[in-house]
Amino acid sequence: MKRRSCRWLAATSVAFVLAALPVESSRRPRYGGTLRLEIGETITSLDSEAPSTSGEDETAKGEISSLIREVLETKSQFSVPGPFHVTAFEAGKRAMLTATEDYPQGRPFVDVIEITMGRAARERILDLELNKTDFAEIPAEDVRRAAERGVRVSRSQPDELLALVFLGGLEAKKRGPVGVRVREAVALSIDRGAIVNFILQKEGEPAGGLLPQWSSGTAFLFSTVADTVHAKELSAQIVPSPKIVLGYDSGDSLEQAVAERIVVNAREARIQLTAQAVKPGLENVTDARLIRLRMQSKSPAAALESFTESLAVMTGLEPTALPDPASPEEIYEREGAIVKSYRVVPLVWLPRVYGLSARVRDWTPPGPGESWPLADVWLDGPVEPAVEEGKE
Amino acid sequence: VTFRTKLFLIFTLALVVSVGLVAAAVTAVTRRAFDEMNRQHTDALVAQFQREFAQRSDDVVHRVQGIADAEGTVRMAIDLSRPKGDVSVYVNDATGVAKAHQLDFLDFISNDGSIISSAEWPARFGYKIDWVLQPEDWAARGSFLMKADTQEGPALALLSVSRVRVGDKDLYIVGGERLGREFLASLVLPTGMRALLYMNLDPAFQAVNLIDSTGPATQADQFASIVEKEQQQPGEQIAKINWTTDAASAEMFHAMPLLGRQKELLGILLIGSSQHDMVTLQRQIMLLSVCVAAIGLLLGALLGWWGTARVTKPVRQLAEGAREVAGGNWNARVNVRGRNEIGQLAKAFNQMTEQLVDQRERLIQAERVAAWREVARRLAHELKNPLFPLQTTVENLQRAKERNHGEFEEVFHESTGILLAEIENLKNIVGRFSEFSKMPHPELSSVQLNEVVRSVVKLFEAQFGAVGRPPITPELHLDDHLQPIEADATLLHRALENLVLNAMDAMPSGGVLMLRTSPAEGGVHLEISDTGTGLTSEECERLFTPYYTTKQHGTGLGLAIVQSVVSDHGGRIWVESEAGVGTSFHIELPKHPPRRAVSFPISFDYEKQKDREPEPEKHKQEA
Repeated sequence: MKRRSCRWLAATSVAFVLAALPVESSRRPRYGGTLRLEIGETITSLDSEAPSTSGEDETAKGEISSLIREVLETKSQFSVPGPFHVTAFEAGKRAMLTATEDYPQGRPFVDVIEITMGRAARERILDLELNKTDFAEIPAEDVRRAAERGVRVSRSQPDELLALVFLGGLEAKKRGPVGVRVREAVALSIDRGAIVNFILQKEGEPAGGLLPQWSSGTAFLFSTVADTVHAKELSAQIVPSPKIVLGYDSGDSLEQAVAERIVVNAREARIQLTAQAVKPGLENVTDARLIRLRMQSKSPAAALESFTESLAVMTGLEPTALPDPASPEEIYEREGAIVKSYRVVPLVWLPRVYGLSARVRDWTPPGPGESWPLADVWLDGPVEPAVEEGKE
Repeated sequence: VTFRTKLFLIFTLALVVSVGLVAAAVTAVTRRAFDEMNRQHTDALVAQFQREFAQRSDDVVHRVQGIADAEGTVRMAIDLSRPKGDVSVYVNDATGVAKAHQLDFLDFISNDGSIISSAEWPARFGYKIDWVLQPEDWAARGSFLMKADTQEGPALALLSVSRVRVGDKDLYIVGGERLGREFLASLVLPTGMRALLYMNLDPAFQAVNLIDSTGPATQADQFASIVEKEQQQPGEQIAKINWTTDAASAEMFHAMPLLGRQKELLGILLIGSSQHDMVTLQRQIMLLSVCVAAIGLLLGALLGWWGTARVTKPVRQLAEGAREVAGGNWNARVNVRGRNEIGQLAKAFNQMTEQLVDQRERLIQAERVAAWREVARRLAHELKNPLFPLQTTVENLQRAKERNHGEFEEVFHESTGILLAEIENLKNIVGRFSEFSKMPHPELSSVQLNEVVRSVVKLFEAQFGAVGRPPITPELHLDDHLQPIEADATLLHRALENLVLNAMDAMPSGGVLMLRTSPAEGGVHLEISDTGTGLTSEECERLFTPYYTTKQHGTGLGLAIVQSVVSDHGGRIWVESEAGVGTSFHIELPKHPPRRAVSFPISFDYEKQKDREPEPEKHKQEA
């Protein structure tokens, strides 16, 4: 569980406060106000065990769920109040969290967090533009357009890996495993730079390894450049040429765009690859999948172990534990072994991008494994009358 | 086959041929009319397609030019003309612009040919399209057909290219419409016609590339030959496809090649015209023709039957009359009216039969007179011989009485003896005539002819070698396997006696008497030949006439009796004679004679006579 005191000691926050104070006295943190927050998901139950419905923004869903559940769990299990408590909940539409006055780490700055659920990315950006909301997460591919429209954005370190995974083990039995040469040819054909520059509109960075450069420091050692000529040579050696089906999440526009681009790249290398939308929870027969892996820790070793555990079932790769503590060489070696198997083809690292209204202050993008620090956020400008409980 | 049947068949055949020719002519004219109509419809549809195509082409050109002239495009061109122009900003622009301008294809292409943004295949950014960089006046080029790559695969597109030049850099806008089922659906087709489009996207025929206004065409494989022919040699062609064995299911397809910018075959427009209406009409015409033909044939047959009956009736009457005449009914007449050839023929026939009857009656009368004369002559001759001694004897008695001759008693006794003898002779003569007139009917029993012949020859054996006359040598050639016949042995014996006597009389200088038996068809054959002087033709003709004889003391009844016996047995007799060689009598007797005696027509074998004309002395007479 995070503690607000930790946030107060964060270097960035201190620097922000120090930088802000001399300029204008009104920039000082102040209490009160309603933080309007929009998410793409729809939460239908506050029961921690109940599965939430699928939404557009899985990331936001996770954050809000954890936030609300944190409130509930604190209340029910430890009898210690969290920073906010649920005062209103309309299943699938909206929720209202009210600041806990006797929160041990100090009362949150805002009085109320008003959460609107089921808002699509385009609607969230529009609401940010029109100042109808104060906080919303923005898909990386839409950041440039949002920023051009004047939306204030905040980026985290790129900590989410979008990768192509060739199914192995039990998963591969549905269609049969794809040979290593084909996997290598596919990996070599992918133009990661084009994905970052065009699809992601320069948000994120090409990924060659399983850890980002800022975390491992060795990511630059993995090539991210496409080698279409070599890919063609490899595919020419494969007779007969297999027909590979690449699956992507049917609700993820970014995955769709990337999958279609991979199809174009593969076609250029004379590899027969088709993209197919798959629905989570349904029986899908594909050879490969696009997946998103979010780092659960800033620690490269922990993050890599987390990744390998997640990938073990899909790829059939055995998750081997790293020594504790693991040296950078050991981490690189382990990372390289996975990459060289071509079971996992890292594509791009994605940052988490948030859109903020002009009055939101002291927002710090959370790091890997961290929740949204909403208790540290305060709102600038005149304080609007508090919304009564149960009232919109 | 009767004359009437022949006439009827000829009439019916003529009728069938006429109706068939009329039906064929009507069908041919109908087919020609439908072909012409189909051609006109197809031409109209092709013209409509070409108009629609031209209109679409102009429309595409205008829309692409509109995009090129838009402010956003110009701004993009200006932005990209800068040294560090960022193309990634515009990667998603094509999709929105294409939607706004209702284009299926839209590509923004940079100065180096790289795709900046693609509506039909958004993920294809960055790849190059070289053909757009080829030197060509795109504004003058207008729209053109092209095989365009899309995310779903290659497609047939009607494209246009516009260029926006900023400084020394060009921005190309390639836009267009998909040539597919929507385009086909926009064509207004007459009833019974349809349009299909084959997109020539693969080297070989692919059924999935053939579409109609609703989607992939059914039974596309049927078009393989048409498409392959077009692929080998693009050009307009017409082909017929029979979907089922029913001719009404057939469709006539007019294939028109759709060529690309480089005159390559990119598509084939197939305009189909259903043959259903034509075939249905043809069938109706055919059915009508058949009905009319059937009714015509029925009426024609009835009419023909009646007509031929009417026409052939006089002929049949003539034939019937001729048959009756041939059967002996000399009084047969043909009742035919009219002045035509048949009427004249009937009149001639009637005249001929009348003349025949007249001649026959005259002949019979003449024969009768001749016979009576002959009878009278024979009677006179026969009676004159005994009468003369009677007269002489009576005169002697008178003289002896007048002279009171002492020898009267002796003369009386001698004369009465002569008188009684001559009277007896007269009685014999009268008896023979009476006997001939009382010829008994044959009493039939199984008779072996050979035995009869042998018994007759045995009877005359003494006379053959009698002292004082030249010998006659009998020769018997009897068939041992001769079947017995039903006959009256006594009558046969009597007939053979007469023939043998006849032969002996014919051979006063002696000779050979040959008797030969042999099987004949349905009976037996007997030949009695002599080596006498033979007979003349006149003698042959009258040989079997009663009371006709060539002998000094003959009654002329011998051969008549023979002929009578043979006739009563249902047989026939004929004579063959050659002067100086001899005479042969031939008798054929049936194995089973008829129960009643038959008449004995007298006939003369003229044909045989004719055949023997080089031998004028040889004659034959059949009784």
